[in-house]
Amino acid sequence: MATTDHQHLDPSVVAKFHFTREMIEGPVYRKYQKAIRKFWSVEDLDFTQDALDWGAIDDDQRRGLLGVTVRFLAGEQNVTNELVPMLAAAQTLRRFDWTVYLSTFLMEEAKHAEFFMRWHDKVVGVLEPEEVAQHFLVRGKTIDPSGRFEVRDVLHEALPYYGRRLLESTLGGEEAEIERAFVAFSAAYNAFVEGVLTMPSYEIVIDTTESWNAFPTLRQGFRLILMDEGRHITFGTYACRVLIEKDPSYEEEVHRVFDAYRGNIVGLVEYQKAVPGLDLNKYQVMKVRHYRNRCREMGITPDETLIEQILDPSIDFVVGVEAG
Amino acid sequence: MKRWTCVEAGCSYELTAPDASAAVEGAQRHIAEEHGSFELEEMIEDVLEDVSDPPGIDLYDSR
Repeated sequence: MATTDHQHLDPSVVAKFHFTREMIEGPVYRKYQKAIRKFWSVEDLDFTQDALDWGAIDDDQRRGLLGVTVRFLAGEQNVTNELVPMLAAAQTLRRFDWTVYLSTFLMEEAKHAEFFMRWHDKVVGVLEPEEVAQHFLVRGKTIDPSGRFEVRDVLHEALPYYGRRLLESTLGGEEAEIERAFVAFSAAYNAFVEGVLTMPSYEIVIDTTESWNAFPTLRQGFRLILMDEGRHITFGTYACRVLIEKDPSYEEEVHRVFDAYRGNIVGLVEYQKAVPGLDLNKYQVMKVRHYRNRCREMGITPDETLIEQILDPSIDFVVGVEAG
Repeated sequence: MKRWTCVEAGCSYELTAPDASAAVEGAQRHIAEEHGSFELEEMIEDVLEDVSDPPGIDLYDSR
């Protein structure tokens, strides 16, 4: 039943309802619908061939592959833990479509963590924290010989930092501060970590498993995860675009985040160099495309100095060999 | 009509397609064939530009 006479309605009752026709036609709600349509389950995957392949590769190959997969195992658990500030902020900013979409986002991050937990358990035979930690390549051994760049642990340092700032702003209730902190958090989480830093790692694993003609379920899992990540990244960059259009001064927050962790993307880090026999230059160059794309999605101007540094062949990191 | 521009370092490829679906397909083919890489559907869709119809052309690329 539709009526155009809304004069008699109590605004406090109207405020209990959030869906609008404009919202359900919008880009964020469409991402939610797509997430529901494209749902996949770890339980449907068969790890039998991957376990056989694990038994057939040598120690160098095992070390290289585990260097990447263990990073993902840690990373997916961390991003699952760190998403709550974004959900809280979306609710305070009264963006119900963002909240609805983020419910699928959080579930998907948990599912990605589950995928890596199952793969390591069923294929490698490690699951407990003490078992997987011994394969985690130590960040402190990755250094820039020129001394210009510091390689930091963006995932375990930046996300908690920007998340706490967003949560504190949300509890403070000042809309502009929440929006500014949202842009910084999303720039770190969706644009930097998911959208630039990690993209070469997906390709490293897919290229590796294709060239070895092995680990079909690991490759399938990465492709399924990427399908979800495409929505995560473009949700974050879309949200940044909306907020930056509202207040262009928020753009500076994005550049501050990328500047603070510049060292992590001007070169390839230890786990990205761990697999023998890959053309590493391909993964380095593609970061420029991903960075330009994220800037294009956010509607901001790329930092050309950062692009020059990514493409500068004289900037390369020396990687130690020690694992956790 | 939809336009997509590749932003890979050193590449100026541009394509115009009749709709978003054809643009995604063309962009993914370009990234795979020219750069040995992949581009996700959402990432292409989110940066498509609306352009007016060039007469008599269904799918145009800049090569």
